[in-house]
Amino acid sequence: MALLELTDVTRSVRLPDDRILAILQGVTLSVDAGEHVAVVGRSGTGKSTLLNILGLLDAPTSGEYVLDGTPIGRLSGRARARRRGDDFGFVFQQFNLLPGRTALENVAAPLMYARGKTFWRRFTLAAQMLDRVGLGDRLDTMPDKLSGGEQQRVAIARALVRRPRVILADEPTGALDVETGGEVMSLLDEIASESGAALIAITHDLAVAARAQRHYRLAGGVLLPIVLNAPGQVTEWIGDLPVSAPLATAVPITLEEDRA
Amino acid sequence: MTGIVGAIVEAWDELRIHKLRVLLALIGVAVAVCAITGITAAAQMMNQAVKEQTERSGGRATTLMVSAYPTGSVAPTGEQYDAEFTQIVERYGVEYASRELYSQLTFRFPNGAQPVQVQAVDVDYGVMRRVQPVQGTWFAEADADRFAPAVVVNEDFLELLGVSDLSGHPTVMLGGKTPVRTTILGVVATQWEGEGPTAFLLYDHFTRWASPDVQYGPVVPNLSLWVPPEMADELTELVRRDMSAGLPGTQTDVYQQGGGFDVLEGGARWVITGIGGVALLLGGLGLVNIALVTVRYRIREIGIRRSFGATSGRVFFGVLMESVVATVLAGLLGVMAAIVIIKNIPVERIFGAGLQDVPPFPLSAALVGMACATAVGALAGLIPAIVAVRVKVIDAIRY
Repeated sequence: MALLELTDVTRSVRLPDDRILAILQGVTLSVDAGEHVAVVGRSGTGKSTLLNILGLLDAPTSGEYVLDGTPIGRLSGRARARRRGDDFGFVFQQFNLLPGRTALENVAAPLMYARGKTFWRRFTLAAQMLDRVGLGDRLDTMPDKLSGGEQQRVAIARALVRRPRVILADEPTGALDVETGGEVMSLLDEIASESGAALIAITHDLAVAARAQRHYRLAGGVLLPIVLNAPGQVTEWIGDLPVSAPLATAVPITLEEDRA
Repeated sequence: MTGIVGAIVEAWDELRIHKLRVLLALIGVAVAVCAITGITAAAQMMNQAVKEQTERSGGRATTLMVSAYPTGSVAPTGEQYDAEFTQIVERYGVEYASRELYSQLTFRFPNGAQPVQVQAVDVDYGVMRRVQPVQGTWFAEADADRFAPAVVVNEDFLELLGVSDLSGHPTVMLGGKTPVRTTILGVVATQWEGEGPTAFLLYDHFTRWASPDVQYGPVVPNLSLWVPPEMADELTELVRRDMSAGLPGTQTDVYQQGGGFDVLEGGARWVITGIGGVALLLGGLGLVNIALVTVRYRIREIGIRRSFGATSGRVFFGVLMESVVATVLAGLLGVMAAIVIIKNIPVERIFGAGLQDVPPFPLSAALVGMACATAVGALAGLIPAIVAVRVKVIDAIRY
């Protein structure tokens, strides 16, 4: 049985002029425990909405979402919040560290919503997690004194400190340079694999997406499976489409303005 | 359990991080609580001061002053008065009673004999009139059995005697038909500038050794009875009846003295409470204002916390608790400040006299102050808490 399963999920909103805007249409997705999945798509294609629905921050307009055998639609708001805390870890593009709190306090923050021993041992657990992401010597450093890469590592430690079953990463390298982004993604992949958590990353960076085992493309609210960087091929954005071409005849890398 | 502890820890963290903001918002609350608590305590102290002053001059609530002046040419003898007074005290089980009479006796001072205003009283008089010797002691029960009289004099008396303190156990000759050496037991403060020498003598010593100045008029003793205020009216009638029957040929008067006085009675109480209330309201409004601004500023943070699994209830309780924890702290500071201020009030300078029974800091005032602070915190936190819960998580994270 899949860890999480979306079946024919739609999400639409009513605009101020009473028109209905469909953000997601008929999305069907199944992710197993420990699997790494990437969803690519341009801005405004519904990537974040999909991630919010997966992470129980938003609810589908129609369709079914089953998380580990539990239909989410039947859960109360409170139960959804609990499942969100217990099962999901979020990594945001802008890191979203809590200002005014040290790295240690940031990582311990999700454990404030845990119960029992985990709650009382939150600082020990947080320190261990920071050590794991290589920031064992920066426990008392404020976020604004950390580099972008370090901040994202703190965010990764925070996402993983409650041992979630699913890590949802929203453009995790979006605010980092290519090199740091690569390092952060390696770390994220590594820790997710270590803990056996499924990793769902949404990104428009094909290099980041290529690290996943399965790839999807979201365009106009429709989710379709794609193959990225098959052996001997590279994938490039051509307009709205990631297109694979043989390495030798790879299309030249196009500039951002040329694509538009 | 961990939910509640977590919410409180979270609230504390928020306060710790936004120290300055919290401090500014809370000054108003702390000052208001300090005012409410302090004013109540000060008023109680003032009440006590006024009460003690009144009791010094007129006796405690309620003192019955009993007198029986002869109307004809034949006056009852001292023994008859004594017998009647004793009967009344025993009959009604009065715990504190004192016979009193004013007279003038001659004492021999280094620069010659001089008449001195003397008040003959019983030992209980000291308690009934809150007599506070500035040196030495007031009379004790055992003093009645002395072989020579003892006196408690005022400062002018001592000065006239050429003595500055009682360390040398000074004595003074009481003149009259049979002069007798008296021991000075204690010294009370001179009541007013130029009061002249005065002395207290035990009533029994007076009857045994004193030779009152006949020119001063007939010596008619009075009786003071300290009775429970609720029984005062009934006893007034009974004592008047008994005295009239027991001492025929006298005009018996019984009147009540030493009523309580409450400066916080009626309007004053409302004015003081009103001022404190308005101050607290202003403090609370400041807090609401700042809390609202902060919640808007913290929308993203609230969103992030929701992503950690914070329920709406937890977010609501968390924001509310921030306000409550803050105002409770402010209340505590306010109460502490009030205690420090009240304990350091120069009582003597403000109220004119030192307090004998300094009232303890009123616990009720402190509790009311704390309750007000907590209530203001809860009310001030309510609006921001509702705003925080209504924040859309997705918007909050993107904020």
